[in-house]
Amino acid sequence: MIPSWILDIFAAIMLAVAAVSAARLALARPWQHGTSAALADIDVSHLLMAIAMAGMLAASLQTLPNGAWEVIFAVMTAWFAYRVIRDTQVSGVRALAGGHCAPHLIHAAAMLYMFAAFAAPAMHAPGGMGMSGGMSGMGTLRLPFLAFAFALILIGYSIWDLDQISGPGASGHYSLAATRTAPMVPVLVGATAGPGAAPVSALASGSAGSAAVAGAQPVDAAPASAYVRANRGVLAPSVATSCRVAMGVTMAFMLLIMI
Amino acid sequence: MSEIAAGSMRAGWRSRVNAGVETARGAPDARRLLQLALAGIWLLVALLQYQSFMFSSGFSQMIGATAAGNPRVVASPISWDATLVAHHPALNAIFATIQLLLAIGIAWRPTVRLALAASIAWALGVWWFGEGLGMVLTPSASPVNGAPGAVIIYALLAALLWPADRSGRPAPFTAARAVGAPIARALWLVLWLSLAYFALLPGNRAPQALNGMIASMESGEPGWLAALERGAASVVAHQGLAASVVLAVALVIIAVGVYLPSGAAKTALVLAIVVAAVIWVFGEAFGAILTGGGTDPNSGPLLMLLALTYWPARAMVTAPARTVLTPPGANEGTTAS
Repeated sequence: MIPSWILDIFAAIMLAVAAVSAARLALARPWQHGTSAALADIDVSHLLMAIAMAGMLAASLQTLPNGAWEVIFAVMTAWFAYRVIRDTQVSGVRALAGGHCAPHLIHAAAMLYMFAAFAAPAMHAPGGMGMSGGMSGMGTLRLPFLAFAFALILIGYSIWDLDQISGPGASGHYSLAATRTAPMVPVLVGATAGPGAAPVSALASGSAGSAAVAGAQPVDAAPASAYVRANRGVLAPSVATSCRVAMGVTMAFMLLIMI
Repeated sequence: MSEIAAGSMRAGWRSRVNAGVETARGAPDARRLLQLALAGIWLLVALLQYQSFMFSSGFSQMIGATAAGNPRVVASPISWDATLVAHHPALNAIFATIQLLLAIGIAWRPTVRLALAASIAWALGVWWFGEGLGMVLTPSASPVNGAPGAVIIYALLAALLWPADRSGRPAPFTAARAVGAPIARALWLVLWLSLAYFALLPGNRAPQALNGMIASMESGEPGWLAALERGAASVVAHQGLAASVVLAVALVIIAVGVYLPSGAAKTALVLAIVVAAVIWVFGEAFGAILTGGGTDPNSGPLLMLLALTYWPARAMVTAPARTVLTPPGANEGTTAS
């Protein structure tokens, strides 16, 4: 039986990830810039996954019924699958390894799998996964090879992330700011240079940098530069990466102990 | 301090940190990728060590069982360790956490040397106290069941992937960069010849030896894997001698393969990977991980990883330069390389 304090430590880490993700959303306020769906999905997914995992690890932290989580993670998986397909159209298969959506697709799919494949022991009360009861009260996962495969992929991404955030020029993944300037939509460069030009959102990919190269000044540059300036502290890309590492490791842990 | 000055200082620090692990534009070189693979295996081992089974009496019994057949001087410390773990199951949490830190340390560039050095020391300790020296001193050692002990290959990999380069000519393969080609080749030769020797031990040549070894892995496995094990066991039923000889010949070819010209060496390395994969699937059942009681993935993946470290340098695949676009200002001072 796994000592409950080990599960509690992992649950506490997940609560910390949830708090950090909520703080990132609150500080960045992506909804005020009219770009919430495209910009905030990473931190929203971190927030939801961390809350769900904390509830799986400690029964007292359970929030929603398993069915609700299944729906949430099914939607999340579909959303990131769509994002990955879009990424691969731009960057090719490299998006699967170097892009920031593919890992989140795996995370969301692994969560969906955990909720869908969970086989509660007969003595366990319905409504939650209740790992805190230890192995005897925890249940297992159907299709254990799938759990092993998910764990391997999550481990791979976590190790890669650790390497990248400790290396040069590699911390720009999936921050709100990074997403804001990622090459997801056509660039609007120099379109608003003239005085009196109609305001055009600087949402477009690479807008700040491209505008600088082109000598143009996007009218809506203030929010973008605010993002860039705010790209420190809790909004730093490395913070999001660290959250993802913590979640990836915790998720792999959960998958393996439920085999 | 100005942004430019701060960025410059960060760039300087990072360039020192990444000496020996970077190529242009931050793309890890082949050795770094192999180090990361090693870190990944350590992370898998660490997480497996947190499994429920490892906190039960079954784990201490598993350790104690490795004392059987070993000389007294080897067996006594193993028995003491097994007793200690039996009385203090929480020790297992410390073991798991140490392995977790090793994985993180290897993946985290500033600590890669420290973590690799620590992993060698830890692996040697586990090899003795947890694996009974891989049972190499017993008649039951077999390459099919993990001899000479998976954990000693972790130590070997850590030494071969040490982030330093010998001066002089470029190394012909990654494993030669830190220790030199002659030593690296000798280590490979000793390892694979020892596997060939174990394959030919009397206990492994017996008509039903290999059959029994494979069939014993069926217990607790999912249906499809149990069926695979049964099928493989039936193929080698009463063929112990022939199977051992074939395996030994393959292992000898692999052993001498690194001394051959590049093309032949590649063939031998591919053979090594195939043999390791077959051993991992049929002989080790993926380290019995799917039973919920596997402590590690066993020797198969490590032998495959080891083979990759000997892959001729020119053909070694390196990661493409990363093309991730980062927001302006997000990485000031971090893209100097």
